[in-house]
Amino acid sequence: MSKIDAQKGDLLVEFFSEEIPARLQVGSGEQLENLFVKKLVSREVSFVSCKTFTGPRHLAIVIRDIDLVQKDQLVEKRGPRLGSDEKAINGFLKSNNISLSDTIVKKTNNGDFYFYSQNIVGENTAKILPDIINEIIFDFVWSKSQRWAYSDLKWARPLRNILILLNDEPVDGKIKIGKNTFLNFTNFSFGHRHHNQKIIVKSINQYEDLLKNNNVIIDRETRKNKILSDIDLLLNNKQLNLKQDNTLLDEITGLVEFPNVMLGTIDNEFMSLPPEVLSTAMKVHQKYFTIFDNKKKLAPKFIFVSNALSEKNRNIRITEGNQRVLRARLSDASFFWKVDTSNSLDHFNKKLKKVLFYDGLGSIFDKTIRLAKISDFFASFFNLDPSLAKEAALLSKADLASEMVGEFPELQGVMGGYYSKINGATSDVSIAISEHYKPKGLSDELPKSNLGAMLSVIDNIDTLTGFFVINKKPTGSKDPFALRRSGFSIVKILIKFKVNISISDLFTEPLKIFDNASEIIQDELYAFIIDKLSYILKKDDFGDDIIKSIIDLPDLYKIPFQVLYKRIQSIKTIHKTEEFKRFLSNFKRLNNIIKTNELPEGSQIYLDQSLFESSEEEDIFNISNHLRLEFAKNRYQLDKQEAILNEITKASTLINMFFENIIVNHENNIIKNNRLELLIGLRNIIIQYINFSVLKD
Amino acid sequence: MPFGAENLDMYNKVYNSSKMNKTKSFQNILMNLQSYWIEQGCVLLQPYDSEVGAGTFHPGTVLRVLGPDPIWKAAYIQPCRRPTDGRYGENPNRLQHYYQFQVIIQPSPDDIQELYLNSLNAIGLNTKDHDIRFVEDDWESPTLGASGLGWEIWCDGMEISQFTYFQQVGGIEVNPVASEITYGLERLAMFIQKVENVYDLDWDGIEKTRGGKNYGDIFLQQEQEFSTYNFEKSNSSILLEHFNNAEKECISLLKDKDNPLCLPAYDHCIKASHVFNLLDARGVISVSERQSYILRVRNMARSCCLAWIEKNNNE
Repeated sequence: MSKIDAQKGDLLVEFFSEEIPARLQVGSGEQLENLFVKKLVSREVSFVSCKTFTGPRHLAIVIRDIDLVQKDQLVEKRGPRLGSDEKAINGFLKSNNISLSDTIVKKTNNGDFYFYSQNIVGENTAKILPDIINEIIFDFVWSKSQRWAYSDLKWARPLRNILILLNDEPVDGKIKIGKNTFLNFTNFSFGHRHHNQKIIVKSINQYEDLLKNNNVIIDRETRKNKILSDIDLLLNNKQLNLKQDNTLLDEITGLVEFPNVMLGTIDNEFMSLPPEVLSTAMKVHQKYFTIFDNKKKLAPKFIFVSNALSEKNRNIRITEGNQRVLRARLSDASFFWKVDTSNSLDHFNKKLKKVLFYDGLGSIFDKTIRLAKISDFFASFFNLDPSLAKEAALLSKADLASEMVGEFPELQGVMGGYYSKINGATSDVSIAISEHYKPKGLSDELPKSNLGAMLSVIDNIDTLTGFFVINKKPTGSKDPFALRRSGFSIVKILIKFKVNISISDLFTEPLKIFDNASEIIQDELYAFIIDKLSYILKKDDFGDDIIKSIIDLPDLYKIPFQVLYKRIQSIKTIHKTEEFKRFLSNFKRLNNIIKTNELPEGSQIYLDQSLFESSEEEDIFNISNHLRLEFAKNRYQLDKQEAILNEITKASTLINMFFENIIVNHENNIIKNNRLELLIGLRNIIIQYINFSVLKD
Repeated sequence: MPFGAENLDMYNKVYNSSKMNKTKSFQNILMNLQSYWIEQGCVLLQPYDSEVGAGTFHPGTVLRVLGPDPIWKAAYIQPCRRPTDGRYGENPNRLQHYYQFQVIIQPSPDDIQELYLNSLNAIGLNTKDHDIRFVEDDWESPTLGASGLGWEIWCDGMEISQFTYFQQVGGIEVNPVASEITYGLERLAMFIQKVENVYDLDWDGIEKTRGGKNYGDIFLQQEQEFSTYNFEKSNSSILLEHFNNAEKECISLLKDKDNPLCLPAYDHCIKASHVFNLLDARGVISVSERQSYILRVRNMARSCCLAWIEKNNNE
């Protein structure tokens, strides 16, 4: 019996907890929605839409037009086979509490059976909600979670209240979260931390406004936009600009229930510190925004977002407090700057002898020595003076021993740039040091200088090689040393800076430095770089077939990077042209003939020029020889790549002529095999450029 | 009204002139905190009489949260030693010896955050006048094999306390979960007194001309001398011997399975931990050795915790 199934209403569920870390709030709304959808659908409860809300203490969902009654479910049960003995039939009837007339007989593949269709009447949604909520909170996954008091339940921080309204009515129920510990469903929530006022929610439609009246902006986007627009208001007409920082903005949005944006002042005495130091000290420790003046110089101001409700005296007090804290932080930073700049980089390097890079890979100082060693080999590939490369390598890690980087690890490199300059390094060297940790991810910008790019590459090459040698390769989702990022950085720089080095040359010197470097490790490193290369090529809009056409090359490791890039770039440029399409179809015809007339395995056939009967055969023979010579001479010459491709595509006409006028399948087997061998010769030389056979038409 | 307040009135009557509101002196902040937590039903303990790196090391926290009584509420002040943080008295914020006020309550009360906020009000920091924030800060002590989730508490951008829900101690699940609050007393007092240099903190609220003392009067020489000792003068070979002896003693005191001496053994674990910190400050522990020292202390701590649980469950 289906009753009032058209009846629908709205559902509000709010999980109220102690302050959930900002980074965990992101994504929690989506997870909540997914869980609700899953649990409701599986119970035949339909609804129209959901909206979730996430704040420091509130995690809520409003579900619109949800069934107030679960749909009836028809469950078909199979009984005994028709003609079974009475005992079996009666047992089936009894267990379902029915009589024979309630059953029907249906044909199945295995014969006729008794069936009983049971109509399970839908429950009131309110009645099944406790089960649903129970499953959701125990299924919910926080990347970090905790127990509290007697709870077995884990939540990001202690869960204190569950508010549920269905059709604006409270719902009875409680969840057992641990030994003798329950959370009852309530009809109230709490306002801003400041007053922590208990508020009774009577209407779902007024929920958001009600919280807002109690100084909680529960919608994440609204909160974020308020921060941004309040910043605009503050900076308006002041010739000041915000340094955009979305990570920081997201974090702050998770730290406040009702943002109160304020402007603080930085003491002038600190404005001589490097801007990166100021900006990092403000962001990392204090979560303040940096402000620029109209000349893009750091302004002696900062923006902070308070969670305290705005009131004139309180605002002044809080601003003063924050300025005092910043002063203490920046005094520290000034002190570090003073101490660091009074020390030499040699002094730092000496300290680095005691700092382990990684167990089995020596100290950080050892690493710089390795970098200096390989810099010589790499310098030429980047058109650099080897002595400059070596100097940069030797100084590159010195700042890791400085007080400033000890306090702000994110300033590594940047401080090295400043300190090396003060120590008398050339600006080339200091710039290189300051940018050699770039790129920090796939979307981060690359170093700008050649020296910086080289330093970045050799640093990453050394790291990669080292960790592969001690068998700490990334596996599955685990990549604790961010080696994949190292791989991407290397490839991106090699492409951008048009570095003409082969994959095997990348590792020759580094592998010599590490003992025990076996061939297996070498091959793993090659494969690792090739994998990163294909990924980046794909991101650069090269088709899968084009990428595959080079990945398959047997001498791939030996091909200089630029040559490789040139080849696929040329292919990408011409592969849509009619001429190339003609070539490709001729080549594929050639390839197919070879494939369908496979020579017996192990057969050794030597091409015999005296068996030629036509000029077409001579032509193929000559172009093969020509290409072979060309390849032997110029295969790795960057400026010859286009010419070689030209020569290859020119063979198109000759191949076509050959097929027009010559029959491979000669009745004389010797001539047939000789012709096949001729074609194989041509094909094998052509596919040394790229594997044309995998290219799509 | 906390009991300390009556005494204050007396002070004020006697001296009648004071350089500041005496309720905000370092010693009164301390007294008011103690009174407040006594009123919340805490046992007021005294500091552990051995060098520790944090209030958590006190057996009143580490061992007690492992049972046998599931209810344990304690508060105490604990002097802490962090040899590597010494700055020869020259840094306005860093000290190698400072005070923590520690509150440990098991099981964690539902209103523990409110209790904490009220404690700030009790020491003259009106929470309604400030921006109080609970900012994620998970805690881990590798040497104690302990970890928990919680926050650092910010007041107008300054960290004034640490708040942790203990999940594990000695590698053992804490059940029921305890809540730990640690106040950095110097930081807190600096905030309340609006002082930017720790040595300028008013200790007693009495005018200098009348013999009043500030933090520097009491501790500056100590910071200078101990910084020199920690970084330059400590005898590493003697310290190494101390470490080994403490470890030996700790293990041997737990040997008798019928009657392990948990507390004396733990006492030696604490000693070893401090000696390790001294060696670390002296710069004689290489990075690769470091890990093995930490592991040795953790093993001691874990053995003590296991023995404690075993012994108390059997009785």
